[in-house]
Amino acid sequence: DGVTVLPAPQNLSVQSTNMKHLLTWSPVTVPGEIIYYFVEYQGEYESLYMSHIWIPSSWCSPTEGPECDITDDITATVPYKLRVRATLGSQTSAWSTLQHPFNRNSTALTPPVMEVTKDGFHLVIKLEDLGPQFEFLVAYWRREPGAKEHVKVVRSRGIPVHLETMEPGAAYCVKVQTFVKAIRRHSPFSQAECVKVQGETLPL
Amino acid sequence: GQEFQFGPCRVEGVVLQELWEAFQAMKDIVQAKDNITSVRLLRKEVLQNVSDTESCYLIRALLKFYLNTVFKNSLDKAADSRIRKSFSTLANNFFVIASKLQPSQEKEMFSISESARRRFLLFQRAFQQLDIQAAQTKAFGEVDILLTWMEKFYQ
Repeated sequence: DGVTVLPAPQNLSVQSTNMKHLLTWSPVTVPGEIIYYFVEYQGEYESLYMSHIWIPSSWCSPTEGPECDITDDITATVPYKLRVRATLGSQTSAWSTLQHPFNRNSTALTPPVMEVTKDGFHLVIKLEDLGPQFEFLVAYWRREPGAKEHVKVVRSRGIPVHLETMEPGAAYCVKVQTFVKAIRRHSPFSQAECVKVQGETLPL
Repeated sequence: GQEFQFGPCRVEGVVLQELWEAFQAMKDIVQAKDNITSVRLLRKEVLQNVSDTESCYLIRALLKFYLNTVFKNSLDKAADSRIRKSFSTLANNFFVIASKLQPSQEKEMFSISESARRRFLLFQRAFQQLDIQAAQTKAFGEVDILLTWMEKFYQ
C-alpha cells in the first residue's frame, strides 16, 4: 500500500429506494486536488468463508464523486459489507467500512406511478418501468356500491395494458402496488384513479 | 412470485434469472479452463429421475459441497473482476438457498435421504478422483447443469 496520508472517507450510508441502492459518504478534500475513491463489497458468503476477499464495485473503482450506485453489485438477498477509500496519486487513505451491512430487503418501496386512460370503451393502464425485479398488482373496480374488485398481475413494463371493457356512463377506478420477487415485499398501493367513459380522469 | 419448491422444501427470495445471468457472464472463461472433457461430475445417475421428496436432500448436499469445497478456493484464483462479481452472485444466492433448506429428519424418510446420499456420493467420488484444482474448475463449469436441474423446481 501507498503511504496512508489521506483521511479515510466518513459517514458512509446507503439510501435504497425501489431496489436502487446508492452508497454515499462525506468527501475527502485537498485544496486544488482531485480525489478518487475506490469502493469494494463483500457478500455474506465472502465474509463467512473468505473474509480476505473484497470485490471491486462495478462502477466505482475508481470514482470521483462521494457516492456510488451499488445496485449491480447487490445481487443476493444477504447482508453486504461495503468499504471505501480515498486516493490522491500514490497516496491512499485507510478503508472506511459501512457500519451496518446492507441487505436489499430493507429497500424502500414506493407506490408506482401509473397512467390510467380510456381507449374508446377500453380501460387501459400504463406503468413505469422499474426494472426486471418488479411485478405489479393492479386492482380495478367499477365505482358503484358493492362492486367487486378485480386483480391483475402485470409483469410487462412500460407498455399499455388492457384491463376492462367499460360500460357507457359507468366510472371505473384503478390502484396499483409493486411486488419485488427477490425480497418478497409489496409497496403500498398508489392513490386510486378513476375514469368515466365520457368524463375526464376524476381524482378521488 | 416465483420460488423454489424442492418437494416439501420451499425457498423464496432467490431470482433464478439472476443466477443464470451471473453464470453466463463467466461461462466461457470458466469452461475454457476445463481440459478434462471426458469426465462429467453431475452425470445422469446423479440428477436423473430424482423424486420431489428426494430433491431437497440432494440439492442441500450439492449446494453445501459447492459452498464449502468448490467455491471456497475458486475466488482466490479469480483475478478477472467479471468472474469475481459473478462468483459472488452465485455463491451468495447458493448460500441463501442452502440456509433455507430444512429437509425432514424423520425415520420414515431414511430410505429417501439415503437414496439422495448415494447420488451425492457418486458426484463427490468423481470429484475426488481428479486433481483438486481440475475438479474445482470442472465443478464450477458444471453450474449450468446444476441450474438447469434446479429450474425444474422453480415455479
